[in-house]
Amino acid sequence: MHRVYFCLGVCLIALLSLAVLPPRVFAQIDPWEFEVYPYATESRGVLEIESDNAVVANGHNSAPNGTAAGTYPSQGMWYSGEEFTYGLTDRIETAAYITFAQPRGHGFWWAGDKFRFRGRLFDEGVLPVDVGWYAELEWHKTPQFDDADLELELKPIIEKDLGPFSLVLNPVFEKPLYGAGHDQGFEFGYRNGAYYRWLRYLSPGVEFYGGVGLIDDTDPLSEQQHYIFPVAWGELPHGLEYSVGPGFGLTRGSDHVLVKFNIELEHFIGALFGPSSETGWFF
Amino acid sequence: MRTRNLSLLVALCAIVTCPILAQADSTPITIRFHDHRWEPLSLTVPAGQPLTIRVLNDSQETIEFESFKLNREQAMTPGQTIQVRLPALSPGSYDFYDDFHQDVPQGSIIAK
Repeated sequence: MHRVYFCLGVCLIALLSLAVLPPRVFAQIDPWEFEVYPYATESRGVLEIESDNAVVANGHNSAPNGTAAGTYPSQGMWYSGEEFTYGLTDRIETAAYITFAQPRGHGFWWAGDKFRFRGRLFDEGVLPVDVGWYAELEWHKTPQFDDADLELELKPIIEKDLGPFSLVLNPVFEKPLYGAGHDQGFEFGYRNGAYYRWLRYLSPGVEFYGGVGLIDDTDPLSEQQHYIFPVAWGELPHGLEYSVGPGFGLTRGSDHVLVKFNIELEHFIGALFGPSSETGWFF
Repeated sequence: MRTRNLSLLVALCAIVTCPILAQADSTPITIRFHDHRWEPLSLTVPAGQPLTIRVLNDSQETIEFESFKLNREQAMTPGQTIQVRLPALSPGSYDFYDDFHQDVPQGSIIAK
């Protein structure tokens, strides 16, 4: 029965990802982080160091196109985001990122920074679906790697476990605060995933990423970006976790083939705050 | 019409809150961590009904209660107790372990 619900959920995610597309600015996605955020936050007192990487194996030779939002073409680009996450409380974590990019024929360049908070509401299993939140500020090196200097990203996190299957939705609402597009509204995108817990060190999943442009003025479908990533993920000894897989662009505006490889290491370094209240719902 | 709408609203609320109420009725089962091990190492729970497990860290070390199969993970400082809410489990064995200490024997929750 779980399998039937899971298949229905994957179809729903795919339909939501590709059909319920709320549009004329630049339909961007964040190529430094092909990651879908689950409901669970980092444990209190735990530091996680993560390297998120994506290489465009078959992209565009002119910019801005595909995942490249700046002046360098996406073909051959290597995006690398180094993330440091710390569990503040049992329900809230904070993270700082430094991002780099290596355009074809160049060395690694600093591309920007990010800072964010993420949290979960209530405890797992209290609500019929587990719900969380995410708020991020993102600086870019312009005009090389983006057209906006500063952006705000907000996203609710929704997760539902069905036996060994997990369905995770991250609708993304993004707004430039400074630089190109700062006088426009919010852009809409998504990061959704469906996962099967098979073995602790190796499990399959499928992830969907995309961006449609402004909510009230979406880009034509051919100019939007939509990707599907079959992924392998799991836990290795000594607190190492990984997620790898190829990504395939589904529209003309997308890069054609990417490969993502993310690896993270967790370690308890000490808690700043005491345990969260079992009856609480935010902190 | 108003009565019908009210009935629909009550039915909807009942459906939405059903899982919460079912879990509130279940009696917590306790797993205790002490002397670098879980006790009990194996416990049997009824399959097909939601349950709540209390996990107590009765040791002087910080641990992380984690279950891959149950998709649960939380760090626990010395003396801390947490409640782990689980949905109705299918019959089978579900792992749990201390992710901070690989040498701690892994435990299992058996749903029958």
